[in-house]
Amino acid sequence: MNFDKDLDARGLNCPLPVLRAKKALNDMQSGQVLRIVATDPGSAKDFETFCRQTGNELVSQSAAEREFTFYMKRK
Amino acid sequence: MTDLTPAQLVPYVTGGAFALAFIFGAVANKTNFCTMGAVSDWVNMGDLNRMRMWLLAIAVALLGSSALAVAGVVDLSKSIYPGPNFTWLSYIVGGFLFGVGMTLGSGCGSKTLIRIGTGNLKSLVVYVFLGIAAYMTLRGLLGAFRVGVLEKAAITLPMGQDLPALLGVNRAILAMLIGGGLLAFAYASKEFRANFDYSLGGVVTGLVVVGGWYVSGHLGRVAEDPNTLQEAFVATNSGRMESFSFVSPLAYTLEYLMLWTDKSKIITYGIASAAGVIAGSASYALATRSFRWEGFRDAEDTANHMVGGLLMGFGGITALGCTIGQAISGISTLALGSILTFASIVAGSAAAMKYQYWRISTED
Repeated sequence: MNFDKDLDARGLNCPLPVLRAKKALNDMQSGQVLRIVATDPGSAKDFETFCRQTGNELVSQSAAEREFTFYMKRK
Repeated sequence: MTDLTPAQLVPYVTGGAFALAFIFGAVANKTNFCTMGAVSDWVNMGDLNRMRMWLLAIAVALLGSSALAVAGVVDLSKSIYPGPNFTWLSYIVGGFLFGVGMTLGSGCGSKTLIRIGTGNLKSLVVYVFLGIAAYMTLRGLLGAFRVGVLEKAAITLPMGQDLPALLGVNRAILAMLIGGGLLAFAYASKEFRANFDYSLGGVVTGLVVVGGWYVSGHLGRVAEDPNTLQEAFVATNSGRMESFSFVSPLAYTLEYLMLWTDKSKIITYGIASAAGVIAGSASYALATRSFRWEGFRDAEDTANHMVGGLLMGFGGITALGCTIGQAISGISTLALGSILTFASIVAGSAAAMKYQYWRISTED
């Protein structure tokens, strides 16, 4: 999947992945896609809640090895 | 149990604490119960579901503990929380610093234990720093500051500081009003009601605290210790009736490990409960294949967790408890200081998150 901005949240735990995603999305235009790679097991639930609450779209999420990858479209 | 000697009661108390903590560790891992996460979801996303889960735990603990007290099974005034010495500055400063610390350290004392169980080595470092700072605040350099400065700002109340004594209102009525209000708030959300994990996490955590009071305050109570001829609560570090709290037990676990050959040191209720949370969380992680090793990202991440542990150790001892100790066990006794500490912890955590976001925003 194509993306416009990449956020490396590996090694960070709650609340930092969400705070960094929030900052990254603030700097992007509507419709642009942010890719986030995280290692915190709690990040999946955090980003689902984040998108539900903020109106940004969680386009896809996947888990491989020890990493979680999220694609988020800015509202 | 009355025919058993205090020494014979010890395994029942520590075993009970371990079993209850094991359940809490497993369920908190499954349901993502996290008090810092509750503040984060609220402050950073405007989502109140995990805060509702925390408040549900408080409601269940309050209603259950009050039922035990009204039935005469336990006497909540025998715990450390509702005493007449209202150390207001300690509650505010300690609670606030604990809140800052839990944000920097990826979670409070209980979450630190839960994360250790899932393979998070950062939380193991938090544990060590938290335990050392807590011990220093109990008996060391920081303890002198706590007692000599912060605890000087205190109001000695004629009775206890629990709301029934302060307001002159029956405990059962107050518990039903406050507990009922919290239950109504939690279940007012359709989203909350629809997700079983929220109810599971809140109810089990609350019941574990109630069970904790029963184990220490009923099973572990000796009306007259043959050695001292005074009432005693066996296998407790405080000498009082205890339920779950995750600051001083981490310090006492380190002390126990370091003074292993000192035969006067025993595995206490608190030590068993800290071990139980790790074991419960680890068992769930292994059973669901979610156990994974996690380490530090960089020097800043390392420093944040070290400072977080130190602040939680100092703050938690100064405020007489943490997000479980004061904010659930303490509030279940309706102590005013517990409510003040709860508010201070939330304020400290929220302020730290605002600072973190400001810092991220000014990078580059």
